Amino acid sequence: MNGKRTILFLSRLLAGLALLTALGGCNNNPHPRPLHSKRVDGNPWVVSYLRLPDDPRSLDPQVSYDVFGNIVITQIYESLLQYSPFKTDPYELEPCLAEEMPRRIKNPDGTETYEIHLKRGLFFQDDPCFPGGRGREMTAADFVYTFQRIADPAVECPVLSNLQEFIAGLGPAYLEARKAGKFDYAKPTGALTVVDDHTFRLNLLKPYPQIQYWLAMPFTAPVPREAVEYYNGKNGRDFFKFHPVGCGPYRVAEWSRSRLIRLVRHERYTATRFPTGGWPQTDEARFRPIAGAALPFVDELQLAVIRESIPAWLLFRQGYLDRSGISKDVFNSVITAGQTLSRDLSARGVKLYSDVEPATFYTQFNMEDHVVGKNILLRQALSTAYNEEQANTLFGSGLWVKAEQLLPPGVIGHDPHFTNPYRTQNLAQAEALLKQAGYPKAIAPKTSQPLTLTLEVIANSAEERQMAEFDQGQIQQLGLRCKIEENTFARFQDKQITGHFQMNTGSGWNADYPDPENFFALFYSKNIPPQGSNNTRFSNPEFDRLFERMSTMDNSPERLNIIRQLNAILVEQCPVILGFHRVVFTLYQPWVRRVSSNAMLLEGGGMKYVSLDAALRAKKIREWNRTSTWPLWTLAGVIALVIGYALARARKSNL
Amino acid sequence: MLNYLIRRLLYMVPILLGVMFITFALFNVVNTPRQMAYRILGPKASVQAIDNWLNNHGYVDKEGKELPTFFNTAPGKNPFDSLYFRSMKRFATFDMGRSFATDEPVMTMIRRGALPSLCITLPAFVVGLFLALSASLLLVFVRDSLIDRWGTVLCVASMSIPITVYVIYGQLVAAKIFPWFPAFGFNLEGFSTVRFIALPVVIMLISGLGADVRMYRAIFLEEVRAEYIRTAQAKGASHARVLLVHMLKNGMISVITLVVAALPFLIMGTLVLESFFGIPGLGNLMTNAIQTSDFGVIQADVYLGSLLYLFGLLATDICYAAVDPRIRLQ
Amino acid sequence: MPIWLSNLLILTGCAAFAALLRAFLFTERSRRALNRLRRDRVGVVCAVLIALFLLAGLADCLQLHPRQSLLDYAFRNVPREAGYSAPLARVTFNERDPKPLQGRHLFGTDLLGKDVLLQTLKGCKTALIIGGLTSLIYIPVGALLGILGGYYRRWVDDIVQYLYSTLASIPGILLLVAVMMTLGKGLDRMAIALSITAWIGLCRLVRGETFRQAAKPYVEAARALGQSHTRILLFHILPNVMHLVIINAILGFSGLVLAETILSYLGVGAPVGTPSWGIMIDSARMELSREPAVWWPLSAASGALFVLVLSLNLLGDSLRRAFDPKAG
Repeated sequence: MNGKRTILFLSRLLAGLALLTALGGCNNNPHPRPLHSKRVDGNPWVVSYLRLPDDPRSLDPQVSYDVFGNIVITQIYESLLQYSPFKTDPYELEPCLAEEMPRRIKNPDGTETYEIHLKRGLFFQDDPCFPGGRGREMTAADFVYTFQRIADPAVECPVLSNLQEFIAGLGPAYLEARKAGKFDYAKPTGALTVVDDHTFRLNLLKPYPQIQYWLAMPFTAPVPREAVEYYNGKNGRDFFKFHPVGCGPYRVAEWSRSRLIRLVRHERYTATRFPTGGWPQTDEARFRPIAGAALPFVDELQLAVIRESIPAWLLFRQGYLDRSGISKDVFNSVITAGQTLSRDLSARGVKLYSDVEPATFYTQFNMEDHVVGKNILLRQALSTAYNEEQANTLFGSGLWVKAEQLLPPGVIGHDPHFTNPYRTQNLAQAEALLKQAGYPKAIAPKTSQPLTLTLEVIANSAEERQMAEFDQGQIQQLGLRCKIEENTFARFQDKQITGHFQMNTGSGWNADYPDPENFFALFYSKNIPPQGSNNTRFSNPEFDRLFERMSTMDNSPERLNIIRQLNAILVEQCPVILGFHRVVFTLYQPWVRRVSSNAMLLEGGGMKYVSLDAALRAKKIREWNRTSTWPLWTLAGVIALVIGYALARARKSNL
Repeated sequence: MLNYLIRRLLYMVPILLGVMFITFALFNVVNTPRQMAYRILGPKASVQAIDNWLNNHGYVDKEGKELPTFFNTAPGKNPFDSLYFRSMKRFATFDMGRSFATDEPVMTMIRRGALPSLCITLPAFVVGLFLALSASLLLVFVRDSLIDRWGTVLCVASMSIPITVYVIYGQLVAAKIFPWFPAFGFNLEGFSTVRFIALPVVIMLISGLGADVRMYRAIFLEEVRAEYIRTAQAKGASHARVLLVHMLKNGMISVITLVVAALPFLIMGTLVLESFFGIPGLGNLMTNAIQTSDFGVIQADVYLGSLLYLFGLLATDICYAAVDPRIRLQ
Repeated sequence: MPIWLSNLLILTGCAAFAALLRAFLFTERSRRALNRLRRDRVGVVCAVLIALFLLAGLADCLQLHPRQSLLDYAFRNVPREAGYSAPLARVTFNERDPKPLQGRHLFGTDLLGKDVLLQTLKGCKTALIIGGLTSLIYIPVGALLGILGGYYRRWVDDIVQYLYSTLASIPGILLLVAVMMTLGKGLDRMAIALSITAWIGLCRLVRGETFRQAAKPYVEAARALGQSHTRILLFHILPNVMHLVIINAILGFSGLVLAETILSYLGVGAPVGTPSWGIMIDSARMELSREPAVWWPLSAASGALFVLVLSLNLLGDSLRRAFDPKAG
């Protein structure tokens, strides 16, 4: 092998590669080309580029219970009801696949039935699983099938245990299927009674007004039997959970795992249209022209899977993401230091929106712990010492909403004027309470040492570590000692479920549906794990009695009264140190027309209403991504100089 | 030769068993299957849902009792009916099992991720080899001069920066200074794929160059003192010829063994780089599996990694023997 | 443990370490190497820098009060602020509501208002503990197994080879994360986890060198004179592989300190509240994406890390050259 020739060859190869690279892209657009450039009617094809912080685990609507799955599922599957985009205080439901709100019938034997009429002309998305590839019309039988799937053990529906308590027939069907090893789809469960193709009745075992919220969730979305049976993983076909087929505004055109999900509009979507009213007065000019328009406005949604926040922010700044901030936990830090946007971003026309989530986060006490569980004054003292405002400034950029009560805004029963006496920092009062609790100056009389408390945390990310350190500091303000126990997610869960903790932080509750029952259930004594999610193991007979009364009541002044009493018990007993209601931050590029500020919809349901100005986007991207070549030339020059100098100097010397 | 090969292959078996033993011990102690189920189904899952999951994923036997990890000591049961031996039986036939989080066959996930990883590591490796050899030859050529001293310091300095800093800073700097290439993303689109790999490959080159140059420089310095170099010079050979023909060829013995040892790992990808640049490769797969405690994928990954490592060792030994006739394989 | 006792223990430990080092460097070979080292300017500078890091770490170990170390005492006049502040700034880093700072901070402050320079210097202690503790574990284990395997050969060597082949086959990151998750968090646990992967390299090196030494005539002569295996190992083989151990220890130290950053990235780094460079670098992922970016904790931590690791690497190189001048 002749070294010289080899070197020459390799150098030419390298130069060729460099040239190829240069030709291959002088353009830093990371997105693949859209599927089409024009719509069928000749109008331009509109694409929106969004971020998914992680791959969804499953797109099966009866299974998926994670945030990322829901963002995608709500585009593909729609349910009988949906949340009204403009009503946020309180949240309201409106018909989606149903013609009108379900009619409630109280039966003489104590059970209830809801009569539901479906809209006509609703088609499933086109897919090879249907004969001829055309989606067929949706009928009541599809809902029967959906509820059968919920009871099927092989499907692993996570909310079966919630629903089987109220809906007839689900529980027995599940047990039968477990015994037989297989679910018999030919046998009806009794949960639904079909009247005709577009009418059916839902049978409940007892009154449960919250069932309406479940009818707005993807768990009850109609699923075509053909799709489930066709996509069984055999013959090179995908599994159904990776190949969803629904009747929602978008269908999945492509899913490259860990990279991209491409959603394309469903051509025959007619279930809902843009509302004809109900928006805030200030938006009248914006929305009047599109009132009653056909949905969706955007033809293609490209959801890029971007796990790290820095590259996502980079892409947003370059203009390659239309908005930043879908997931609640990742983007708390990708935001300005002040309450308003920085000059740089606002000069570009970027808009910041903050919406309060229907969720509450808190630090939990274990009511069965012999130190904190039996000592109400100690708990009140700790609660009064905690400075929520500072936590808000440090971790929430001042934009969180302090939680004075368990119920978040938007849920019926939330009292915006209520002030929690133990949630405003008052160190003097906290010390007094501590003294009354039996620990004057934080010294435990039995040991003459400061009382040591153990706080369980999950601290995998930098932010979680900093928050844990902050919480420790808060407790130590009173002179107490606080030991931080770090846990993996699994261990943290385990300790919560088995009750092996004294205090833990980072817990909270995100509303499944905006009804107070969903939150107060957390303190119902029958929900102590493993039966339910009462992790604090709070048990108060008066609370239980009131809870049982109000849980299935319709909303009325009497119910509000009971809610107020429940709240008072929780405030006084202090099983948790209430933290905050988290706020979802979203930054929108200047070319996006945002519609809904409904946090229950924010994840996904609002996307069908969004529209954007593609020409403005192209212009801004060009403006924000101007290239400069001088650094490359400087670098090349330096390297050439070094090599030349080296060769020149060494030429004379011996090897 | 054949005997040697067979012996080496047989020797791999106890190592693989040992490797999987350690993996099972670590992961099943850390996360009992029940805890894993909670992790995957979410904290709001009911007891019923958890039991169901355990049943569907083969963690309980027919009677509904949870299977032990290593040895089944229950009366009337086959002592080898445990999680460990069931998995080993699967791996013996190269059935990589399924992911616990998504139920997808791991083999599909691996096949999908192999190409993107290779798109980054292979160019970085080839170009890196070329650059490292050139740079080290240059340094040897000018040894003991100022450039040599500063060059070595620069190499060591570049080794002293953690990979995370390279990636974080590199991505930010590259996006601002070289906005010709996307700062993130990956898409297989024929020739244009090159623009997605440009930045990650450059960062990988820069971060790895220092260590390589230092190592090759040490190898070539050994050669420089050899007598045949002096003979060649006495015979009037030009510097270039001496460097490229004599030194390179003799130094290649050591270089090749290093190169061959590194080849199998090209497929495994780089964790941090893939994570930050959004390359859906095998490194990303592993990071994800670790973070979600997806033991199905982790098992398969460890198995694959070990196999590759052992084959790499074998290939290195064979290469060494092939290139250096003084070495005889026993 | 009372403060005076722990301080005494630390100082005794340092003295013992220094004495041990002196004893080991007593051989003729080492003294010649040290002479050569003294003339190597780069090596000397690096040694001085490393000594400075050691001093900083030591200052943080010695305690004056239960929660105040010597280092804290030196920084006692530097107050804690409310939040981020840029280096040498006068107000907090907050566009909406900048509050005046109570003191001057050379490298600014981090999220919880702690002075970044102080945190960086305290990070020395963490880095040195991780490196030192791990070295204390892996060096004896690796050297011992390597020597035994290389000297006794046959089944002893087979066992040693099996052990390190198995451990080396497991992808390193996975093994580290899995062990950390099993053992839980803590610097001592990290040391154990890191030493599980670190002893392999040393073992291989020592084993190879022992092979070579054991084949040399002087070992055969010693056997002929009737010396026991133990004596040969301790007095003949060990001193002659020692230089490899020392060089590997120094270079390995830098690798360990770097490994801490990767562990922090994967979420199994130092426990909450422990000042560590790895955690500061990992927090940068969040901080750099702020608007405007917070760059000073990352720069301070990676700068300190860089200087320490660079010094260790250059010193290791100088030592290698000092012991064997032909190996330039």
